[in-house]
Amino acid sequence: MRTRARHGIVRVLSQHAFLIIICLAALYPLWFIASTALRSNAAYQLDPTGFPSHPTLGSLRNMLFHEPLPRWMWNSFLVTISSVAVSTFFALLAAYAAVFGRFRGHSIFVSTSVALMVVPPVTLLVPMFVFMVDSGLVNHLQSVIIFYTGLLVPFAIFFMSGFFRTIPGELIEAASSEGAGPFTVFRRIVLPLSGAASFTLIVVQAIWVWNELLIALVFLQNEGSRTLMAGLTQFQGRFVTNEPLVLAGALLSILPVVALYLSGQRFFVRGLTAGIGK
Amino acid sequence: MAFAFGFPLVQVVRDSFYAGNFSAPIYVGLANYRGVLSDPAFHQSILDNMKLLLTVPIMLGLGLAIALVLNDRIRGGRHYQSVVFLPYVLPATAIGIAFSFLLQERGVLNTSLRRLGLGGLAQDWLGNSHLAIVSVGGVVVWQQLGFAVVVFTAALLALPPETAEAARIDGAGWWQLQLRVLVPQIRPIIELLAVIQVITVISWVFNYVYVLTAGGPGFSSSVMELYIWRSFSNGSDGTAASVAVMLLGMASVLIGLSLWVRRQTAAQ
Amino acid sequence: MSLKRALAILGAAVVLSAAVFVTAAMSKTAANDPNNAKLTYWYWAESDAPGANKWLKSEVALYEKSHPNVKISVVIQSTDTLTSAFTTAAQTKTGPDIATQWATLPTLTPAWSGATVPISDYVPKSEWKNWISTAENMWDGKLWAMPQYLIGIPFVWNKQLFKKAGLNPNVGPKTWAEFLADCKKLKAKGITPFGMGNQDGYGGAWFFSLIGKQNLNSINELKAAMIGTQDFANAKFSGFYQLLVDLKKNGYLNSDVASISFGQGFQLFGQKKVAMSWGTDGNVAQWEGQVGAKNMGVGAIPIWGHGKLSTSYDVTQSSDAFITKWSKNPEAAAQFLVFLHSPQALKAWYKATGVFPADKRFPASLVTDPIAKQLLKLDQSPVSVWPENFVPPQVDQNADLAGGEQITSGSASPAAVVKLWKSQLSQWKSQHPDEYAAYKKWATGH
Repeated sequence: MRTRARHGIVRVLSQHAFLIIICLAALYPLWFIASTALRSNAAYQLDPTGFPSHPTLGSLRNMLFHEPLPRWMWNSFLVTISSVAVSTFFALLAAYAAVFGRFRGHSIFVSTSVALMVVPPVTLLVPMFVFMVDSGLVNHLQSVIIFYTGLLVPFAIFFMSGFFRTIPGELIEAASSEGAGPFTVFRRIVLPLSGAASFTLIVVQAIWVWNELLIALVFLQNEGSRTLMAGLTQFQGRFVTNEPLVLAGALLSILPVVALYLSGQRFFVRGLTAGIGK
Repeated sequence: MAFAFGFPLVQVVRDSFYAGNFSAPIYVGLANYRGVLSDPAFHQSILDNMKLLLTVPIMLGLGLAIALVLNDRIRGGRHYQSVVFLPYVLPATAIGIAFSFLLQERGVLNTSLRRLGLGGLAQDWLGNSHLAIVSVGGVVVWQQLGFAVVVFTAALLALPPETAEAARIDGAGWWQLQLRVLVPQIRPIIELLAVIQVITVISWVFNYVYVLTAGGPGFSSSVMELYIWRSFSNGSDGTAASVAVMLLGMASVLIGLSLWVRRQTAAQ
Repeated sequence: MSLKRALAILGAAVVLSAAVFVTAAMSKTAANDPNNAKLTYWYWAESDAPGANKWLKSEVALYEKSHPNVKISVVIQSTDTLTSAFTTAAQTKTGPDIATQWATLPTLTPAWSGATVPISDYVPKSEWKNWISTAENMWDGKLWAMPQYLIGIPFVWNKQLFKKAGLNPNVGPKTWAEFLADCKKLKAKGITPFGMGNQDGYGGAWFFSLIGKQNLNSINELKAAMIGTQDFANAKFSGFYQLLVDLKKNGYLNSDVASISFGQGFQLFGQKKVAMSWGTDGNVAQWEGQVGAKNMGVGAIPIWGHGKLSTSYDVTQSSDAFITKWSKNPEAAAQFLVFLHSPQALKAWYKATGVFPADKRFPASLVTDPIAKQLLKLDQSPVSVWPENFVPPQVDQNADLAGGEQITSGSASPAAVVKLWKSQLSQWKSQHPDEYAAYKKWATGH
């Protein structure tokens, strides 16, 4: 019995050790970004691994006031809100119609969505670029908003229809037998129930759009319309000998996401695993 | 949806048959495809995507190990999980830039290794053409690991406790319990996640490669997405389109796979 | 689905999209407003001439003060995306009014495809005949871009480190054999002999331009190799790669040459971490401040080859400024560019960067620093050519830069890199038949 207990302790300790190592590895790069952003360039060049013994807000201030970073952050913000809103709205309606509607081929519709989820956006890049140039939308935020919305919709439909399928058919039957039209059913029953799922969907999509790089690089090349991620890569090239400045930009781009994460972890986790479960 | 996908999909096939300036395209038939197929940079790009596939078993294995440990109702499990999941939500671009500094030959990782006396392990992570794609893979694993952990943890939690209890009563040791009882029960989830990660490393790694190595040195860490982007930014739209068509072909094969796996999972 | 419901959905979707578009439109960039004389200038020069960005900022401020209805926004470009960013912008037919590219091929290629306008259409000859090195950007009888400065690339050495290794600090290596001998002695004393950064390929490209040309008798031979009438596999074009391989093998380069960028590589000499390097006149001016004028020797690049070009120097305008075809106000753009050649601007430029302006009216009497005088003398060499300017940009990126990266990372042999050049040349020809035809016409006259 005693050996069993000792094995137990050894096992628990080694489990903790294992997890702690993993966590350190997960956190170190973040620490590196934050600590380097707070050091002066001279200090960094002398010793990249050093602890920020004389932290300075210089790089952060530079980023916020002398570089277009706030403008780019605002662009990213606009693009994220617009494309996620349209996509979610559309997905709610489409998924509702697919799951509860009685139109032929609704299962094909959902399967198509699943299939389209896997198409790499880069394959659509060239024709979409040509289209945007011809319609004069290139370098305007509308171009990426349109493209992102189109890309987000398949996953959104897939996710929402998966959720709607969990709503018991009896609820719908009961409401429609009382004479409620389909739109009323949607508004009074389905919509309130899908609050949490919708929120999760919104969060997942928002992260995707916020982090997207390739499309933003191609469609938004003017300094005024760039998004945050594309802008960060600009910094990487422009300030190649000033790592603290570049990492200050990286830090500022991470902070909103981290804040969102810390305040709503459950939704992150649930959102990304819900699709799996279905 | 028809607009966002249908029209470009048709158009990209058409574009792949032209060369020259895109405002004055010249029809060249299959010449773009022939050119691409004989380009060593293209071969290397496919090869690198394949190399990145090797990260999938690592990610799954490590993720599984962490999830199993967390599943043991370890104290503070929820906190560990939050930390492990954090990298996944961070912007790949910002992370990639940080790693591009960390992994330089005189950067933080190597300096620390040398200080610890492990100088022999210090490599030119980004400048050695054999290691460049490995480094990219490392960053991909670092970020994607949290996702695997969370999925597996949720799956393990959803398992009926009776099977595990029965095994414990039967005298199964810890390892036996994990490997012989728990893991097989969540096999469909593992397979599904494998398919998802395979798709990820084929079509969603541009961010990492672009900021870590830009495909270098030479093109030893180029991937298909980067090849398309490079062709496009050199004005060779026809070439970019032809590679896009080929990438689409590869992705379609994987779509078929994923649908098949899902059908298997649903059947169970 | 009832008709009423369908209409309701459609209506809601339309309203929502309209709202989205309106919000997005409200954040339109100012450059699209047709009623203001606003100019966007995509600028690059800091890598050649540290201090350039600050100079341009102050010139813009001065100009805007005296021209209150003109607003100029400067967008600094990165070295590794300088060409590709403009190529992509040219495809959108929107973007900057004024842009920067490196001279000759990178400037003429967009000109050939109709993306730029000749600056000689907007600036009178009486003005531009004062600019130096305009021949680099002439085509079809017109001048397509304005030179701003001239740089040579001298060879430099750290006198203190030379002394430490037992070498004569006042004599730099004149031949490659002398250079290798110096490297050996320096390495024996634990000093890194030569410093450069090649993660982004520009270190290798400089090798091509400084050493690779030395077995040629004229740059026309290189042009012929580009269009295929001569074979790039001929040792006179590509033999130099073996030198780079040997440098790496013998440990004469800094150990992180393959993982630090070109710009980072320039820091090494100034931080006294390496004994020898090469750099632009602007880099040399910056190093003077860090290493000390008394401690630095400058001279021509060591001679290795046997062609007539082995004794040529490498002065070029490097980067230039041109006006784009879609600019709404080319006259305003030209006027600002001419302002950058005013006596005040030229003096301020020299003061800020130590690099010589590309203007005959710049008084040489202003050059007083002894090292600068040496640089000026080198820059006045009778024959000067920078081969990279004659390589089509796509081939430069995919063969010159990529090949050099492969060499310094040890992943390819010189023979493999030659193969790469040839395959990229044939790809360029098949992917851009129009560019190829234009180049051929420009190079050979037909």
